[in-house]
Amino acid sequence: MRLTYYMQQRLMKRAIDVVMVALLVITLFPIFWMVFSSFKSNTEILLGKIPFGKAGNDVMFIDARGRALFAFTSDGGLNKFDIDTGKLLKHDSVKSLATSFAADDHNVWVGTSDKGLVQVSLDDFSKKRGFSHGIEGFDINKVVSTSLADDGKYVWLAFQQKNIETLLKFDKEKMSFVGEVPFASALSPSQATSLLRDGGLLWIGTNKGLVALNAETGKVFKTFGLGSMGLPPVDIRGLVKHGGNLFFATARGAYEFSPAAGTIKRSFGIDEGLLSERVNGVSFAGNKMFVATNAGISAVDLENGSVTNFEAVFTPVAGSGDKKSLVRADVFGVAERSGKLFAGASSGRISLIDLGNDTVEKAYLAKDGHTVVRWRNYIDLWKNINFGLYLKNSLIICGITMVLAMIFATLAAYALARFNFPGSNFFSIGVLATQMIPSIMYLIPLYIMFTKFTMLTGVPMKGTYFGMILVYSAFFIPFSIWILRGFFAAIPVELEEAARIDGCSPFQVFWYIVLPLAVPGIIATGIYVFLTAWDELMFAWVLTNADTMTIPVGIRLFVGNYQNRFDLMMAAATVATIPVMILFFMLQKHIVKGLTAGAVKG
Amino acid sequence: MKKGLWQEIKKYRIAYYFVLPTFLAMMTLHIFPVFQAFYMAFLKLNQFTISQYLMAPFVGFDNFYQILFNADSPIRIGLFESVRNTVIYTIVVTIGTTAFGMIVALMVNRKFRGKNIARALFLFPWVVPTYVTGLLWGFMWQKEIGVINLVLVDWLKLLPSKPFWLLGPNTMWAIIIPTVWRYWPLSMLMLLAGMQSIPDELYEAAEIDGASGWRKFWSITFPMLKPVWAILLLFGLIYNTYSFNIVIMMFGFGAGYPGEWGDLMMTNIFRNTFQQWAFGVGAAASVLLLIVMVVIVNFWFRFYQKAEEMRE
Repeated sequence: MRLTYYMQQRLMKRAIDVVMVALLVITLFPIFWMVFSSFKSNTEILLGKIPFGKAGNDVMFIDARGRALFAFTSDGGLNKFDIDTGKLLKHDSVKSLATSFAADDHNVWVGTSDKGLVQVSLDDFSKKRGFSHGIEGFDINKVVSTSLADDGKYVWLAFQQKNIETLLKFDKEKMSFVGEVPFASALSPSQATSLLRDGGLLWIGTNKGLVALNAETGKVFKTFGLGSMGLPPVDIRGLVKHGGNLFFATARGAYEFSPAAGTIKRSFGIDEGLLSERVNGVSFAGNKMFVATNAGISAVDLENGSVTNFEAVFTPVAGSGDKKSLVRADVFGVAERSGKLFAGASSGRISLIDLGNDTVEKAYLAKDGHTVVRWRNYIDLWKNINFGLYLKNSLIICGITMVLAMIFATLAAYALARFNFPGSNFFSIGVLATQMIPSIMYLIPLYIMFTKFTMLTGVPMKGTYFGMILVYSAFFIPFSIWILRGFFAAIPVELEEAARIDGCSPFQVFWYIVLPLAVPGIIATGIYVFLTAWDELMFAWVLTNADTMTIPVGIRLFVGNYQNRFDLMMAAATVATIPVMILFFMLQKHIVKGLTAGAVKG
Repeated sequence: MKKGLWQEIKKYRIAYYFVLPTFLAMMTLHIFPVFQAFYMAFLKLNQFTISQYLMAPFVGFDNFYQILFNADSPIRIGLFESVRNTVIYTIVVTIGTTAFGMIVALMVNRKFRGKNIARALFLFPWVVPTYVTGLLWGFMWQKEIGVINLVLVDWLKLLPSKPFWLLGPNTMWAIIIPTVWRYWPLSMLMLLAGMQSIPDELYEAAEIDGASGWRKFWSITFPMLKPVWAILLLFGLIYNTYSFNIVIMMFGFGAGYPGEWGDLMMTNIFRNTFQQWAFGVGAAASVLLLIVMVVIVNFWFRFYQKAEEMRE
């Protein structure tokens, strides 16, 4: 009987432990989720891509050189295979999402999402990184999609972003950006989607048409609008030169374009099997053009225009498990080698296809995507949304408020705790009663008072630090008095009496005896005031302007402007939370003591 | 008598010096504006008359009439809903935070390893700013991409399909739950401090009498904590009635109207005042709110005192 009682007790204890841990997890989860989401891209969030997701490792760039097969993936993964055995010889990563690639004899240039342009040596994958270059109004780091073109001496960068009609010129020897080349033309405003260096010309595929640029002078040489080519408005991608003509792909098909005539010479696709699918890229081998689509590869014989479709690309790779069913099956890059075709597809799959009979001879698998820690949201927060200003304003306003409120409240709280002077009761009740008044009741008159005051005297009140600090100080003093009173009441009176007998003046008693003892309490209360001021939205919303805006107002504003940019919102929320969290947990013991002292007394 | 008071005042000169700065600050920036607000409630103050300040046309009780009795007044749009929501919200949140805080306080008041760490971790939500709370939960409540629907529908399969949380009556939960989440750690903190000040002898005596854990809670812990939870209920009542940040941030997308099931009185008054520039009406509404609050707090004190007397 006795035993069962104890067993029952222990069981009960275990059950409570389990419930408590569960509650703790649920409690902390939102905070975790906030920080976690701030490191995701908005696309990942909007697609509902969950947790611990690694960046997709679609094979974007594939190249066969000697006995090595290079496959670079969209998560920045660099893979080197043995071309015959399919063994992964080397793996590395640029540790950022890769958006574009351009190769020369020894290096591959990778445009990344937040590390600028990265040079990767094909010999040993050694990386040189970090070329950031600011053009007015944008930063290379914030551009999601870039196009690269390589010409011996320079790497050219085009940015797929609205209102950026500028190419960047990067000197490979000096390893630095040497110029900006605007390509605003008759087609403006346009958005670059692909880039090709050809002889003395730079061809820019845009969403409006083709632009030819003189690479030496940077002048626009010629433009070909999509309309004049007889094409619907689509992005021109996968620009390639072959046999005097340009080939490019759109989401609708592949086209051969004659620059001399300025017309489309041939078009492939629309209704030709796989070519009716979304086209991702074009490449050539011998007399064949290979078009990568999101359903496979189509080979177009340029002599007679016949189309052969290869759908075998998607035979599951051994060891890839059920991956095939999870991802879209796009082919992004193609490389040809002596009658064999290497196709780089989504999720790191590479297939070696025998062109003779449409069978997959071998299948390689690029390494899994890296979990990319993306600081881009935080960079964006500072560069695009001016979050630094809000942070500075919040720190200044809340900091000075804290100091001022503490000076005032310490004096008053001491007087109320120690002296039973006529009116002290009335004052104490008054202090408490202010807590009952809705804050909007001060805000309306204050707003009108400030407006009127500025009208009469010309001294600005709204939108100044001074006005905000004044309002906040007055607003937070009563509560501070209430907490501090408890601290002062807890200091033994005997100390003061002894000091008085020794001949101290009342002020000396306060200054030399009481104040040092009350410092922990004052700090705790100060931190509490800081936290509360940090959290204040309504006053700041009405009484600040663009220059003095605090964090909550700033966030409130950009939530309206950048609708559904959840990644940025969560980054902003994280930045707003972390400082106060650190502050709180550094001084947790004092604050808890201060707050609960009042509560226990009732 | 007069002489005596004067001497008292002289005796406590230092106290007056100490209180004076605060007194002046509160007078100019606290009391003075509040009295103005009372007066403004009787003025026709809007964007045209704002420059006239207190000389704006006096309209008597017209603002109050517009709010309370004129069903066609534009001010009335959404007013009833916001009052209803505020009442539900305040009651559920106040009781919810206190009850939940009590449960967790009881849990962490036991002896176990990592007690201090658990207490500190439970405090985390309370340090998250309220505007962040609104933003964060607004994100988590999203229908398609929100993590709450993901867990409830996709993982646990508790619901057949993903509901809209920020639309219709569900909005009530969408604003109540984050508020409880944000504020219950404070209740826990206060109640825990109260529990630790209850002398152990009481529990020992009860144990000798053979009282169960449940009985010990209702006969010792709960009544002994009365000063704490009574204060928590009072402050919860006041603060939650004046709740603003969480709702305004959660529905910040678009026009900023939280919908008829998410609008609270403060958001309603704020919108009317600073988006429609109806300052006089806003002042009148906040005066009404204050009157209601004074009445409620008064009742609370009566009730509290009566209960105290009955106990003695």
